Amino acid sequence: MNRLRIRWTKEGRTRFLSARDTASVWERAVRRAGLPIAYSEGFTPHARISFPDALPVGVASTGEYAELTFVAPVAPADDLGRLSATLPEGMDVLTWTDVPAGAPRLASLLPATLWELVWPPVDATALTTLLRDRCEDLLAASSAEVVRQRPDGARTLDVRPAVVALAVAARPAPDGAGARTVLRAVLRNDAPIIRPTDLLAALGDGFAPPALVRRVAQGAPTDAGLDEALTGAVEPVEPELVAGAA
Amino acid sequence: MPAASGPSAPPAPDVLGVAPVVRVDALPPRGSRAVHRGTEGAPAPTSVLAALEPILPEVRKPAQYLGGEHHQVVTPWGDAATRWLLCYPDAYEVGQPNQGIQILYELLNGRDTALAERCYAPWLDLEERMRALDIPTFSLEQHLPLWAFDVLAVTLPHELGHTNLLNLVDLGGVPHRAADRTEEDPVVLVGGHAAFNPEPLAPFIDAAVMGDGEEVVLEIDDVLRDAKRAGLDRPALLRALAGVEGVYVPALYADRRTPDGRLARTVPTEPGLPALVPKRTVQDLEQWPYPQRQLVPMTETVHERFSVEIFRGCTRGCRFCQAGMITRPVRERRSATVQRIVEEGVASTGFEEVGLLSLSSADHSAIGEIAHDLGDRYEGTTTSLSLPSTRVDAFNVTLSNELARNGRRSGLTFAPEAGSERMRAVINKMVSEEDLLRTAEIAFSQGWRHIKLYFMVGLPTETDEDVVAIGELGLKVHRIARSHGRGNRVTLSVGGFVPKPHTPFQWAAQDPPEEISRKLGLVRRTVREADGLRVRTNDPDEGVIEGLLARGDRRVAAAVERAWRLGARFDGWHEVDTLDLWRRALAETDVDLAWYSYRERGEDEPFPWDHLDSGLERQWLWEDWRTALKGEQLDDCRWSPCYDCGVCPGLSLAHDTGFEDGLLPVLPSAGDLPVAAERYASAGAPAPTGEGRA
Repeated sequence: MNRLRIRWTKEGRTRFLSARDTASVWERAVRRAGLPIAYSEGFTPHARISFPDALPVGVASTGEYAELTFVAPVAPADDLGRLSATLPEGMDVLTWTDVPAGAPRLASLLPATLWELVWPPVDATALTTLLRDRCEDLLAASSAEVVRQRPDGARTLDVRPAVVALAVAARPAPDGAGARTVLRAVLRNDAPIIRPTDLLAALGDGFAPPALVRRVAQGAPTDAGLDEALTGAVEPVEPELVAGAA
Repeated sequence: MPAASGPSAPPAPDVLGVAPVVRVDALPPRGSRAVHRGTEGAPAPTSVLAALEPILPEVRKPAQYLGGEHHQVVTPWGDAATRWLLCYPDAYEVGQPNQGIQILYELLNGRDTALAERCYAPWLDLEERMRALDIPTFSLEQHLPLWAFDVLAVTLPHELGHTNLLNLVDLGGVPHRAADRTEEDPVVLVGGHAAFNPEPLAPFIDAAVMGDGEEVVLEIDDVLRDAKRAGLDRPALLRALAGVEGVYVPALYADRRTPDGRLARTVPTEPGLPALVPKRTVQDLEQWPYPQRQLVPMTETVHERFSVEIFRGCTRGCRFCQAGMITRPVRERRSATVQRIVEEGVASTGFEEVGLLSLSSADHSAIGEIAHDLGDRYEGTTTSLSLPSTRVDAFNVTLSNELARNGRRSGLTFAPEAGSERMRAVINKMVSEEDLLRTAEIAFSQGWRHIKLYFMVGLPTETDEDVVAIGELGLKVHRIARSHGRGNRVTLSVGGFVPKPHTPFQWAAQDPPEEISRKLGLVRRTVREADGLRVRTNDPDEGVIEGLLARGDRRVAAAVERAWRLGARFDGWHEVDTLDLWRRALAETDVDLAWYSYRERGEDEPFPWDHLDSGLERQWLWEDWRTALKGEQLDDCRWSPCYDCGVCPGLSLAHDTGFEDGLLPVLPSAGDLPVAAERYASAGAPAPTGEGRA
């Protein structure tokens, strides 16, 4: 069995693809790239490309992961390069690792997520102060219950246990058009999974929804942020303030 | 106190970080748009993407508005002399797989001087936001506004996109009436099957293109480029377009009326225009192996597969079938060509499924070889092959077995269309009950688990006995199904018949929806659904608008316009009920639905499409209609003598039947295609008769 784990992006317009759309896009890209992907048994075989968890429609990501199973050995540098090139614009393969026999499941390497929420270039100073205060309050609290409305009814969740670290900053704009408030959060992925919308609900009201939500990376939570799952590189919770980093 | 999570309410004024509404200047006033219309070097209009992106999270299925599909072509605006916006006037999920659009897209984008992008109808939720934010109808490739293109080319596979067409033009910042458009507006062209009677759209379109698009689209592009370089005004451009064989410009034709207001004849109003506008026919499909670089959707559509048209046209002669009548003669692709297109297409698109398309795919003269070879090629792979054929016979099961070697013997579809032998003779669907039952026996015994049967009610001369026979036939097939396994299933799919132009049934009365409804009830009562036997019926209201628009004349245009103004859109969708809007529009514009749809026509009654030539002789259609009423059948001319329907003689096609060079039944003969002048009398002369044709 030849398996590879990869980290990939879902940026730009591809952030509007649903989980079902995304699976088809990957399956066809793998076929176009001519990779010897394995297929599941059964009435309607599917390419063995597994995604540990779905991303909400509209959320961008540089922290998507997948495990691909092949029926023959592949040359990752060449083959994944070809795959990355034939994936739609916005989807790129960033890194890959082999999967040795007996390796832990991919999902177990992804206990936490670093999220980034970016607001429009409006009220950055006041909004940054407001969110910083709210984040301090949340970190100081022992619990923070929110009600999640779903078609099948309302559900009360405690957000606080999932929160590992929070950081807020105003990021200057590259073109000087105005700074943007950036909130970064390391959230645990344990069930029940707490999403950025739940976190925002726990932070209260008085601010608009962010213009863009991004899943930056996944891995093991640390004091500073998280250690990225495939490379171990440190992803700090403190936002980068370099102009243009958004 | 728990806070609320989930979709956020509109922010209060004291809320921080509220995004300013993004507006783009993509809808400049008319009078200031000409700069973008120039040939090479013209500046691109403003893309709507910046305004569109922030509202996408609020709408249903946002991915449909993004483009970016594999094989999309993006050409810088200033690199092209002519710019086409190809449109399917329905939602992306329905329109994206359309082969006609993809053929034209590939041909036009293959030209150095042309650019072609695509657009589809935005769903109601997005349209509302587009109108509020002044976002015009846009292309998917570069999100450029409709008004800036030279041509809006719309395919009309049926009549239920007419209101969407008006809406797209209007939403695109362009006057919806052709007479109000000027040099700075796009030319609105329609093509496709419903363009064979464009009269209900006559005031709204600049031209209709009849028949196969491959050659004519390039000729139109030439005319357009020359006209732009020469700076022709709009009347001169339209006159030049009318000079292209197969192009009909309604503004240059008048509908003469009798004193009581009925149509007498539609005639050209200028000398030199053809009295009878011919359709275009690509004689050799081998020279036009498109589309090859098929667009791979990133989001769900109705057909996600690589499609190859194995032949065009059909001479089975089903009397209800407009497609089979107007696409004659049969022209095949060679087996080797089909296989090459499939192999390259599957590799370049990554599609998991291949569809071998045509009006009756089992009729290809080399279908056995095609199915066998493709079966060999893809055996043991995950690429699946399908033959969406509706022919009822054992051979079709054999073919399907070849194509399903990978083990997926799920469902087969057959279209007996009518329940009784008598009714099938009337519609010329030559399949006996014995054939059908034997086919079902073979299919279920060979491991197929589901058979779907298509039927129609509301056919000419139909009695309740004929309707009940649909249910009885279903019960017989069901008994066969169950004798081969308890899990086997049969589905009867029953719809209402809608008479269409250029068919022998163009004289027939359509059943009103109440009568269709009663007949569907008869089928249901006959069947009393058992385990594994289902009846699916179409909404009887569906055929009402379709029937009116199919056979309507220019007076119906007022109702189309009124219905659209009242809010009618997506007339083919269950989710949008527009029939009440239409009834209001008909009342307000004095259009008598019963007169247009529920009345049998006489032999000599002028039709709104008499000046548009599908190749079929009106006299032949009439005789076939009379033959139908007598319950007599007519053989397929591929395997029996020619019955002079009128299509072949004008086309310089070898008019022999039988195998010749492996392709059936007609091949291009030597010599060039005769020009319009040779085939058709010029303006003012009587419509050509059989003897007048080459």
